[in-house]
Amino acid sequence: MTPNDVRPAKPVPVVAPWARPFWDAAREGRLILQHCEDCDRVIHYPRMVCPHCSSTKLDWRAASGRGTIYSFTVVQSNAPSAFAGDVPYVVAVIRLAEGVQMLSNIVECDHDELFCDQEVEVVFEHLDEEFTLPKFRPVR
Amino acid sequence: MANNRGKSAIIGIGEVPTGRHSDQGAISFALESALMAISDAGIDKSEIDFVIPTGSLFSSQFSNELATCRLVEELGLKNVTSNCEVFSGGSSSTNALRVASALIETGRARSILFVHTDKLGTGVSAQGGIDLFSTAGISMEWEVPYGQHYSTVAALATQRYQYETGTTDEQLSAVCVSNRKWAELNPNAFFRTPLTIEEVMNSKMLSTPLRAKQSNMLFDGGAAYVVTSGARARDLVERPAYVLGEGGLVTHFAYHQEPDLTRFGWAQAGRQAFEEAGITPGDIDVAEIYDSYPIYQLIAFEEIGLCARGEAGALHMSGATAPGGTMPTTTDGGMLSKGHIGAGGSVSLLVEAVRQVMGKAGERQVPDCRFAVETAVGGTYMDAQVTVLGAEIP
Repeated sequence: MTPNDVRPAKPVPVVAPWARPFWDAAREGRLILQHCEDCDRVIHYPRMVCPHCSSTKLDWRAASGRGTIYSFTVVQSNAPSAFAGDVPYVVAVIRLAEGVQMLSNIVECDHDELFCDQEVEVVFEHLDEEFTLPKFRPVR
Repeated sequence: MANNRGKSAIIGIGEVPTGRHSDQGAISFALESALMAISDAGIDKSEIDFVIPTGSLFSSQFSNELATCRLVEELGLKNVTSNCEVFSGGSSSTNALRVASALIETGRARSILFVHTDKLGTGVSAQGGIDLFSTAGISMEWEVPYGQHYSTVAALATQRYQYETGTTDEQLSAVCVSNRKWAELNPNAFFRTPLTIEEVMNSKMLSTPLRAKQSNMLFDGGAAYVVTSGARARDLVERPAYVLGEGGLVTHFAYHQEPDLTRFGWAQAGRQAFEEAGITPGDIDVAEIYDSYPIYQLIAFEEIGLCARGEAGALHMSGATAPGGTMPTTTDGGMLSKGHIGAGGSVSLLVEAVRQVMGKAGERQVPDCRFAVETAVGGTYMDAQVTVLGAEIP
């Protein structure tokens, strides 16, 4: 295994200006989702304009932090360099209760007991001073 | 949408063997393929009036050279009005054909040369390839920080598809075995020794449930084709491959935005292509299905209507898709056995579809091949693209 000191640093989100509130909230341990005031739909990931009605009247709402695993995979080998030390780790598509999907990691779990449509809840993992990543764990 | 059935045709193809050619530059694969395609078309190079290169992933410098007319100069083409790069990753071949067909149909061009080349086998290291494909086509804000890469992308679709359809690991592995049987007959393929389901099932786990031998491998290579009008095609070659129908649907950029990881946009793309072609999936003699991982071959195969949902795995197990089977599929061996050359993954498949329709597929030739369907898709399976080719116009 590559020693820590030569492994590339973890990639941080390359933030679109309009998504900044999402990452600011995550740093404070809150999951928020964009919402369109005109068509009343929840949006994720955040957009510059509503992808449904093109409105620019977008605000933010607190999310429930609950959802289900749409699909998942346990990475066991051939990971990107920056993630080589994390193997095995879980990548999953989460269907949030608000009806939108997001990519994340499943943590605090037994890898052999994960299944599709399993209920999960958000947890927050500190990445660096600027970024905290919303991740998910099975609801116990 | 206007019906352009048979108004354009592919009349020449060229391809270099897929492999590891560290001693050769990508430019040589491009030039060799281009010259073969022009010669195959039976035209003089002076007749080429439009060149469409696609992008190359191993080197942005080289990709820029392709965009800025290097091929035109190296080939000594004197009558080219435009050199215009068309690049959409794995669907580049099909998108370029769509652009070329439109140019032909409107009379903007008479003889179009499309060329792809890349050097992902020796131009980047093995880990470099994994790292390249942990960002190429993947959202830098919403996916890269979570360790997404192409193995996880394929594994996520596989997991959900197996959950919904009950398709087994053996059936997924049967795709690799079927494609290998075709590769054994293809001198341009890299992997040509027999493969068993057990070998696939016992290979290293990459990202559950995806195993190493269910993953494509990256190689060097290149291919080219020449497009002209349907009317002119029949005067130039004995058996042109008419472009009968085209369909497509873009469903996402970021993979997690895809509403259905077990279907993607294939159904609509297929309907569109078959409707324009004036034939049905039942008329198809050979299917060249984009197979970077077995899951995508199964999904596209079903969704474009070659069999019912959830039945493609069993069909691949039965031998129906292999040489001598009732639905010959991915007959050049595909990315799983011929080898993945970047955007060229689908170029190979398109060139193979043309080869079958033109009756030039040698040992792999499907007897009396009148109609072929080819699928291509770029990025993280973002834009299902379907093309129907035929030796005749229905």
